[in-house]
Amino acid sequence: MPLTLKDIAKIAGVAESTVSRAINNKPGVGAQTREKIMEIVREHNYQPNQLAQGLAKRETHLLALIVADLTGPGYSEIIKSMEKTANQAGYQLIICNTDNNLAKEKTYLNLVGQHRVDGAIILGGTLANNNIMKLALNQDELLVLVNCLAEEVLIPTVLVDNARGGYLATVHLLEQGLEKIALVMGPANDFLESEKLNGYQQALADYNIPFREQLIIKTNLSREGGYNAFFRVMKIDELPDGFFVTNDLLAIGLTEAIKMGGYLIPGDFAVVGYGDSIISAVINPALTVVAEPLQQLGRLAAEYIIKLINDQAIEEVIRVLEPELIIRESSSP
Amino acid sequence: MASVTLTNVTKRFDEVVAVDNVNLEIKDKEFLVLVGPSGCGKSTTLRMVAGLEEITSGNIEIGKRIVNDVPPKDRDIAMVFQNYALYPHMDVYNNMAFGLKLRKFPKDEIDRRVKEAAQILEIEQLLDRRPKQLSGGQRQRVALGRAIVREPKVFLMDEPLSNLDAKLRVQMRTEISKLHDKLQTTVIYVTHDQTEAMTMGDRIVVLRDGVIQQVADPLNLYNQPNNMFVAGFIGTPPMNFLDATLVEDGGKYFLDGAGSFKIAIPEDLAKKTPELKEYLGRGVVFGVRPEDLSDASLAEKEVTEYNSFMAGVEVVEPMGSEIYLYLTLDDHSMIARVEPNSTAKVGDNVKLRVETEKIHVFDAETEEIIF
Ligand SMILES: Nc1ncnc2c1ncn2[C@@H]1O[C@H](COP(=O)(O)OP(=O)(O)OP(=O)(O)O)[C@@H](O)[C@H]1O
Ligand SMILES: [Mg+2]
Repeated sequence: MPLTLKDIAKIAGVAESTVSRAINNKPGVGAQTREKIMEIVREHNYQPNQLAQGLAKRETHLLALIVADLTGPGYSEIIKSMEKTANQAGYQLIICNTDNNLAKEKTYLNLVGQHRVDGAIILGGTLANNNIMKLALNQDELLVLVNCLAEEVLIPTVLVDNARGGYLATVHLLEQGLEKIALVMGPANDFLESEKLNGYQQALADYNIPFREQLIIKTNLSREGGYNAFFRVMKIDELPDGFFVTNDLLAIGLTEAIKMGGYLIPGDFAVVGYGDSIISAVINPALTVVAEPLQQLGRLAAEYIIKLINDQAIEEVIRVLEPELIIRESSSP
Repeated sequence: MASVTLTNVTKRFDEVVAVDNVNLEIKDKEFLVLVGPSGCGKSTTLRMVAGLEEITSGNIEIGKRIVNDVPPKDRDIAMVFQNYALYPHMDVYNNMAFGLKLRKFPKDEIDRRVKEAAQILEIEQLLDRRPKQLSGGQRQRVALGRAIVREPKVFLMDEPLSNLDAKLRVQMRTEISKLHDKLQTTVIYVTHDQTEAMTMGDRIVVLRDGVIQQVADPLNLYNQPNNMFVAGFIGTPPMNFLDATLVEDGGKYFLDGAGSFKIAIPEDLAKKTPELKEYLGRGVVFGVRPEDLSDASLAEKEVTEYNSFMAGVEVVEPMGSEIYLYLTLDDHSMIARVEPNSTAKVGDNVKLRVETEKIHVFDAETEEIIF
């Protein structure tokens, strides 16, 4: 008589479900227990029930991309690259837009739990919430985070070092011989914005330039915000000689205001933006920007999830990508 | 700070009953350990308290509030697992602070909390280091720091040390115990390692197949196990179990091992256990811990026919301050922890003295303790 799950459970002294989880390589079984069970399985030459195994290993070749806000910066480029990589490996990408709605997100995450997709990529959202954590605890091989941090659990992640971006932009301006660099940024309690501020401060410190609070202009992330920021700057006693602007829309508004005021870029004010969108290239003069490696981000995320699905090792569980500086006309004299 | 109460809590995953009608009261500031073999429902219990698993039936209270339907983020808890993410591009400060930053806490408040946590964990001098520049223990402390800055009422820890090497694990056990003393916060700690449970817990809950076997402080758990499962699970090497028949001879009770031993039950123990009488002539299980067996040839105390037996030595394992003897007696294997000057050799038949005041007797059918 062939051995059943029940028999193995009895021999190993564990619950039947534990045996099933061990055989199907599911989490929730301690390493020692797993080894013990597998030994019994080998010893008795146990052949898992084909149906049971087929169910557990059912492959859909579908990946869910779960996005909290489809309008995020550079997302179209990230997603295109992700999809291309997935397609090349024989996977289809389903885009699930949650609109920051937790109930919607839960429904999409359930696709993973119910094995209706092989894995999911979570893009953005900045902090992994409990729905994600719960899934990671149960099915940790099937999730990848992109530009999203997790507090309690370790989930394979690809992200961009925004502080490094702020640092590169500021250093570039400092290298032009500028010392009074204004930072035009979004609200300071926005995590990504605060990261860029950290990079800015680090650059000043490395170049022994004192940090001046009045050169930090915090506004809302809009064209209008950028426009008004310039006039706020003009009111301070000592005018800056350069600007680091942390966002596309801010950059448009700011450059408009500078030109309206009859000043020259980069002659009177050098400007460095953040994010390599079409906008920054068509602004006159063409904008020097910190560019995020969007394609690489999308490609790596897809590669990561496909590796996980196929039980291949990932070298760096948390992969941090560095942005790069694209030097155009707005920053160098 | 808060108490946690589980009332008739059950969790079912399809056909599996992972947690079965658990009743448990965890006191404010208590360090409670959930221990048991793999799959016994430890993590599931913890996750239900956290709100990461819905409960099938029953109630969970944190403080005086029933939290069955309260989302995890509003439960004032923080969780610590064995695998955590330390971000390589952030310094220690930011690795502890980012959660608060992302929840838009005011800057001053974040700063106060991070510095306070760093002080408690004694990692103030590491705040501007990157994770790469930290030792394993320091990293673990940063992960704890991330939980501490949330200022939870209850810490929930699921095998947080199981990824560490043996030496560091022992060190971190002490660190976590010290941390608990400093923070004065309720901790529920899950482990499958009974040594960890015994060294850390104010009280220990032993689980088996989702059912609580016993809740007791470490000493009571060791000395007064409720049943054979607890007796065998707590203590290394585990308690020895031998089949025996309870017999009466001249007004005294004996454990009769069908010719291989006849151990007298001390009169005071028999007197304290009047129900013993009902087992006369029936099969029982005789339990004795390895440290309550000694090499009779070295015994200072009296050795008699009724507190000793002979067993064959299979393996001799010197442990430094003592020797483990792996023995066989009929079909049973057993272990004795004997004095380091014992000269017992493999193949010998040695006489072992039983510390009869410390023995236990179990109902062979129910496996419940008789005394
Ligand atoms: N998401 C799930 N779906 C189905 N069954 C589950 C799930 N999670 C746990 N179980 C089952 O519930 C039971 C208890 O699991 P749990 O993870 O709580 O055990 P544990 O005591 O933490 O074990 P370990 O020491 O291996 O971590 C096991 O039989 C397990 O297989
Ligand atoms: Mg567990």
